This record gives sequence, structure tokens and C-alpha cells, in this order.
Amino acid sequence: MNQTAQIETHEPPVNKMALILRKEWMELRQERGLIIGTVLPPLFFTILPVLLAWAVAVIPHKAASALVQSPNLGPDVKIGGTGTAAPIVSAGGLQGLDTQAVEQAVIGSQFSILFMLMPIVVPAVIASYSIVGEKTGRTLEPVLATPIRVSELLVGKALAAFIPAVLITWIGASAFVGGMALVALSPRVVEHIVTLPWVLACLLCAPLMSLIAIGLTVAVSSRVRDPRTAQQIATVLIFPVMGVLLGQVTGFLVLSSAFVLAAAFVLALAASAVIWVAIRLFRREVILTKWS
Amino acid sequence: MPANAVETYELTRFFDSRPAVEDLTLNVPQGTVFGFLGPNGAGKTTTVRMLSALIDPTRGTARVAGYELGRENTQIRRHVGVLTEFPGLYVRLSGLENLLFFAGLYGVSRRQAVPLAEKYLRLMELWDRRTEPVSAYSKGMRQRLAICRALLHQPQVVFLDEPTSGLDPEAARIVRHAIKELRAEGRTVFLSTHNMPEAEILCDQVGIFSTRLLRVDTLTGLRGGRHGIGTIVRVRGDAVRWLDTVRALEFVRDVSAANHGANGAHPNPDIHTDTHMPTGDLAVRMDQPEEYTPLLVQTLAAAGAPILYVGPLVNTLESVYLELLGHNADTNEVLGITPNGRESIPASG
Repeated sequence: MNQTAQIETHEPPVNKMALILRKEWMELRQERGLIIGTVLPPLFFTILPVLLAWAVAVIPHKAASALVQSPNLGPDVKIGGTGTAAPIVSAGGLQGLDTQAVEQAVIGSQFSILFMLMPIVVPAVIASYSIVGEKTGRTLEPVLATPIRVSELLVGKALAAFIPAVLITWIGASAFVGGMALVALSPRVVEHIVTLPWVLACLLCAPLMSLIAIGLTVAVSSRVRDPRTAQQIATVLIFPVMGVLLGQVTGFLVLSSAFVLAAAFVLALAASAVIWVAIRLFRREVILTKWS
Repeated sequence: MPANAVETYELTRFFDSRPAVEDLTLNVPQGTVFGFLGPNGAGKTTTVRMLSALIDPTRGTARVAGYELGRENTQIRRHVGVLTEFPGLYVRLSGLENLLFFAGLYGVSRRQAVPLAEKYLRLMELWDRRTEPVSAYSKGMRQRLAICRALLHQPQVVFLDEPTSGLDPEAARIVRHAIKELRAEGRTVFLSTHNMPEAEILCDQVGIFSTRLLRVDTLTGLRGGRHGIGTIVRVRGDAVRWLDTVRALEFVRDVSAANHGANGAHPNPDIHTDTHMPTGDLAVRMDQPEEYTPLLVQTLAAAGAPILYVGPLVNTLESVYLELLGHNADTNEVLGITPNGRESIPASG
């Protein structure tokens, strides 16, 4: 009997992207340091504002004010008076709230923008280890020797970083909203934080920024040997987000729905461009002959 | 199925302006073990990478497993198995998890891959360690697991790049056994190595290569043909005393004898003696040994030589290899065919 025949299969084709995704997660599962490094910053971003808002509610007002030194509460919010539970003089949507509730609203709205950092930080860590790890472990050549397409490989790896990043962001944002609802002195505090622009930013901008971070990490990882270098370069994306945060804190920028939708459009274009470049840079030939 | 598993025509690869492989024209018949021999840096790995559709040639053409390189690369990747220069395994995953992952990349479903993984893990004597993470494997175990990976999708052609490099003798034995099994199954093995004894044991055909293909032949051809390059005559006692008798024959090109004396040299400096040859052996080089060997034996017998054995004198692969690469081969390192018909292979290499 001739045993050299290839395996004949009548089964559905193997989904190679899903296979890569599963393998990546199996490997990540064993990397405790990486898991801690991935989960800790989002946990910090989620818990800190809730703790501060809680502190504002339970600690006497003077001490609480010292905790939160906010020079500007946005274009339509001003704290009126200096005494305990001083009424708001002028605050769009926050009229009638006492100072502590206003401070909670301020803390919540300022920290809410930090949820735009999570989709950048989380995939940068995972994706850089994922690509550079293949390089240092010399595992990429046997993978590229299989009939897998480069796009399947990259999409599988990108999903392995994208899915946890977006899930962590959304879970963190939900926990943040839930926590703020628990400690808020008034339901209007939560209404002030969970605005349509913020929800849109979480749903649209966060995944897109995650894609950009992954694309940038893959592109950079194709040229460096150290995962930390790839991470550091990819995290330059933090600066625009910090700019938005600063603009909001100083009252220079108002996060409106129109602004978020426009930002999402720009981010979508940027994500497409970065992913296109990443795939172009990630070529079998270059990887096998230059990676050594 | 094509008659040749691998066909190349003037296959060439440059890195910048430096040639790594030049004008490689080669046919490897289906179902054979082909030894691709060359020193480090000769371009063996580059050749394997081109033939397994990992990198493109600069010029030239090739067909692998019946598929055209460049136009049908995905088909080539599907039908060949590759043991790369480094095992390249996921060390946090177990041996079995590694195999099932790569089987999936080759399009083999998990249901089909599990029994195949068992078959090859047992062949490589790794079945009992299958659930351990690869980080706990020795170098030899990793190499054997990487060979399992190259075989799991039942490829027609298997490229093995230095499969026993750095392995202990037991691990090397297991790998050689597996290569013989592959040939028995009708698969083609392209064995890139610089291990001469291994090539002599395993290969049907050998190509000696250093950027260019210097020679390609069967082992018999490389050794000097069916009748060899001369004759070995074993006599009782010291063979050196018969050197002058043999040297006097006009058809003899060269003769050497074992010399285990105090100074290791014959009184006549023109006569070769060798302390490595078995005592009593005369290595006689001549053209057309099939014609002149009877006359040689007659002459020695007439002179009173107590002849114990007569057999062909053949080149070792190593001596041919070194000669082709421009090194000084030790002309006395010969591969004799012993009276019981078994090959005696030099330990060096």
C-alpha cells in the first residue's frame, strides 16, 4: 500500500486564525507576569476614581477638597461658595447639587477619559510579546513553513491582543460606572459622567485605538528584538489621549458626540493605514533573512 | 505522482551581492533519501528554505512534490515537511499541544491529528512525555519533537536540516531509524548534513555542495563504482613485506600497507604505510580492478603470500567530500568491505 498519500479530509477546513488565537491565549495563560502587567493598570484606572469619589462622599468636605484640586470643572460647571455643602451657582445639569456631589461628578468625568488609555496599553503588552516572542523563540520559521497566509497569522495574533483589550476596557468601564453609581451622592452625578459622547468613545474610539496600537506594535516588533522596545514605541499613542484629557481638564476641549464621531472617523483611517503598513512590513522573506 | 520529488534548474539565491546558492541543478527521485552535504555556510539552509517555499530564489526554477516554486508555493508548503535549523517550539506548551497546533496550520483536523501525533511521538520515543511542557525537554527531545512536527501532515517530501546535530548517540539513533521508516513508507527525504557517516548509512544519493553543486551521485558511484578504486588484499602477518612485490606490477597506481612498527615507516620512502589500517591489509589502487585483481592475487600467491581475503577498495564519502572541497584527503582512509559483507565505517566525521 502506498502510504505517501496526503491526508484526505471531508471535514470543514481548519480556521487558522482561531487556531493562532487559541495558541496565543494558551501561551499567555502560562505567563503570569504578563497577565498581571496586563490587568493591573485597568484595575487601577477602574478602582481609583471610585475610591476618590467615595472618599469625597465620606470624608469631611475640607479634607475631601484637598484630595481633589480641580482648577476647572468644565465649561458649564462651577463650584459656588466655600462652605460645606455650598450650592452650585452655575452648573449646566448639576444645579442644586452640593459641592461633594459636584466634586464626584468632576472626578468621574475626568477619570472616564482614562478608559481610552486601556485599549492602547493592554494590546501593546500582549502584541509585543506575541510577535517578538516568536522572534526570540525562533518559532516563526516553522509557522511560516506551513500553508498559513501572513494575513491569517497576523489577524490571529491581532485578535489575541484586541479581544482582551476591548473586553477589559468595556468591563472596566462598566465596573467604573457601577462603582460610581454605588458611591454617588446623587443619580445626576452618574448622568454627568455617562454621557452619550463617552459611551460612543468607549464603543467606537476604544476598539479603533486598540487596532492602531496593535498595528503599530506589530510594525515595530518586525524591526526590533526586545518586546519592551515595541511596547514603548506603541505607547506613544498615549500622548494624544493625554492631550484630550488635558484639554478637558483645562476646559479647552468639550467631548461632544460630533467630536467623538469625527475622532472615530480619523481613527478608523489611521487604523487602516497602520494595519496596511504592518502587513507590508511583515514578510516571510524579511523575517527569515533579517531576523537572526 | 512525479518521478522526481525535487527538480531544480539553475536555482540561485543572492543576499545583496553575495551568492549563497548558485546554479543548483538537481533531481531527487521520489521515495529516496538524498544527502545534501556541505560545510557550514555552504548554502544548505538557504537551499532548504527556497525548496520549502520560505524564501524566493533570485533566479532559476524548481518543482517540489510536483508543484512549481513561485507559482504554487502554498501547495508546496502543504506537501512538504520541514525540520528547520532550530527546533522552534513553543516551550510553554506541551509536546502534544505543539503538534496539534502545527497540524491545524497544515489543515489537519484535531480528530485526524491525534492518532498521527501518537504514531510519531511513539516513533520518536516521546509518547510518555507528551503532556510535559517543552521547556522541560532536553535538546534531543526537542529535536525529535520538531521532526514529529515535520511529519504529522504526512508530507510527500521531508526536508531535514541537520537532524542529528548536537544529539547524543541514542537520540541520533532514534532519528536515523525514523528516516529509514520514512523511506520505507515511500516518502522522499532531503537530508541536509555534514555528518558523513550518517549520510553513508542513510542516503541513496548524495550531492556535495558548497554554494555550487560539486558532485551528485549514488554512494556506490562516489565510492568508485561497483568494483571500487582498487583491491584490498589481507595476508597473514605483516603486509609491509609484500609491498615491493605489488609495486612491481605495472597496472598498480599506488599501494599502501598497514605498518604498526616502531617508527611507523617503510625503509623505502616512496612506499606508503599506514598505522590506521588493519594489520595485514594491502590497499592496492589500480584502474579496472575487475580486470587486474586476478593477476594481483596470482602474483602474490606465487610469491608465497598467505592470502586471507580479497575485496574491493572503495573511497570513503569523507575522502571524496574533502577532495571536492579542496582539502587534502587522507588517501589511506578507505572503506573496506569486510569478509562478512558488512561495511566498516570510519568513526570520524
